[in-house]
Amino acid sequence: MDGSTDAQIVARVLRGDAELYAELVKRYRDRYARYALHMLGNREDAEEALQDAFTRAYRSLARCEDPERFGAWLFRILVNRCRTVGARRGRRARTFVSDDLALHDAAEEHPAERSAWREEIERALSRLRPEQREAFLLKYVEELGYDEMSRLTGVGVSALKMRVMRACDRLRELLSDVRDDREVRVERRRPEVNDAKHS
Amino acid sequence: MRNIPERWIHRVASELRRPVRLDDEFDRGVMDAVRAMPRHRHRPWTRMLRARTITVSPMITGVAAALLLAVALSAGHFIGVLRANRATARVDVATDRSGGTKPGPRRSVQFVLVAPSARKVQVVGDFNDWDASHQEYVAQHRGGGVWAVTAAIPEGHHRYSFVVDDSLWVADPSAPRVLDDDYGMPNSAIVVGGGDAAQ
Amino acid sequence: MIRSTRATVVLVALSCLGQVAPWRGASGQHATDARLARLDSTTRRVVAAVVDSARKTRLPTEPLIDKALEGAQKGADGGRIVTAVRGLYTELRSARAALGTGAATEEINAGANAIHAGLPMRTLSQLRSVSQHAGRARVTLPLTVYTDLIARGVPAAVASDVVLSLARAGLRNGDYAMFQRNVRLDIENGADAATAAQTRARGAALHNAGRL
Repeated sequence: MDGSTDAQIVARVLRGDAELYAELVKRYRDRYARYALHMLGNREDAEEALQDAFTRAYRSLARCEDPERFGAWLFRILVNRCRTVGARRGRRARTFVSDDLALHDAAEEHPAERSAWREEIERALSRLRPEQREAFLLKYVEELGYDEMSRLTGVGVSALKMRVMRACDRLRELLSDVRDDREVRVERRRPEVNDAKHS
Repeated sequence: MRNIPERWIHRVASELRRPVRLDDEFDRGVMDAVRAMPRHRHRPWTRMLRARTITVSPMITGVAAALLLAVALSAGHFIGVLRANRATARVDVATDRSGGTKPGPRRSVQFVLVAPSARKVQVVGDFNDWDASHQEYVAQHRGGGVWAVTAAIPEGHHRYSFVVDDSLWVADPSAPRVLDDDYGMPNSAIVVGGGDAAQ
Repeated sequence: MIRSTRATVVLVALSCLGQVAPWRGASGQHATDARLARLDSTTRRVVAAVVDSARKTRLPTEPLIDKALEGAQKGADGGRIVTAVRGLYTELRSARAALGTGAATEEINAGANAIHAGLPMRTLSQLRSVSQHAGRARVTLPLTVYTDLIARGVPAAVASDVVLSLARAGLRNGDYAMFQRNVRLDIENGADAATAAQTRARGAALHNAGRL
């Protein structure tokens, strides 16, 4: 089924071939897991929201007006599910744990430092208001345009821009100490890397 | 808008963009849920009955929406009013066609949502038992992304929301909000009817 | 969504044939509201029992049924619906206790929403006496404004003070609408929520006193 478009798969599922839905799950699972994980902060909630989104999408598949854009339609369902799961946790303190699902590529920095930096980002993200976190993730991580974000969330473009701006301000404030230290450490390490290359 | 150091935000975002991978256990969970649901069956006539989407260019949509909003606002109508317009006629319970079961005198209330990308907008709330099937609460597209419906709402305090395209719950952007963490989807409040509170 | 549509079709069909006969609730003493057919049987039983308790204590029952129906429409599971309905029952009871037995249903509904948003009961009682003193019989609007302020990020203490000051000033209905609109627009334009609410409240009170 690798060569089939989303629309072709949706059409076959609607004709009764439910097992084929697994192909759509495989196509979108990892990408949308990333959004759910950053939005909700832990694996259990992210998997719950994502699984819920996939099952709701299957249930309402006949109402997907544009099967070529199944992914965008599914994403809108996921954004809603993340809001529901997030709200259900209410005012309890959110705890972000190190992401044990993320792939760690080889990096210039020491892996422990990259983990620490990642943890700081996740911690800062968790301290944003949910609507600001949502807007930041959609804009800068999912790299959507404001019109697409507006269609996904039902929020107007100017309000979304305001939320993104506030999110950036707040992240900068929360991460400024960590960022400064980290940049100094990276700068200090550069002579060692250069030395290693020349030796 | 303040100048955010874009390079720094993009570094944060690129960290968050690192791939996330779920294991096959997740897929099995989704497909188990899918198999437990009724299979879709091919119903070719549903496509014929489905409403068609009319695409309007973004510029025309924006200008038309702005003009319509300007007219509405200058006529003194709040979009999603805090208090229903008392000049509108009272509708007797006996002539109520909404299918709702709420007793008491009703007043005509206009609900308006600007949603240029929507294909369908409905109003649901405690005045119609949160039932999206009542035709009386389906908004009409007036052009330029402006959706409106006028319905007879019983006097009193009510909670409601817009449902866009059968899947997206949207609070009335200009109405008072209700803190709704019971189900995680936004609601708005409206107070209908009655004389001035001065007694 | 599919579940609610099917339930609606079944109810319409039955009503065309004659009538939808309510069935006896668990207590056997009062018929269960037919609209609760949209819930699964376990949830329906529990919700019906809560509604029955409300009826016996003369609390409004409609908000409880609405809360359950809202959950059904939004696809919430039975457990969540039961939690929401039970929570609302407690809030309705608290609102009526704070507002007094003569409170109108709309005030109790708005009061329950405000308590859910964090309004202390003593503030609710204070709001009642302050409003009466200012010649306003109902507190529905100030309570609606309070809930809106909380939902927009105004801290609870500030929201309480603001709403009490508006009530003390004896604002008319249209002034509450204008206040809510102005605060909303200020926040959307980037203002801090608490500052916007406090500033606009001062303006609304002054305007009402006729000094502007």
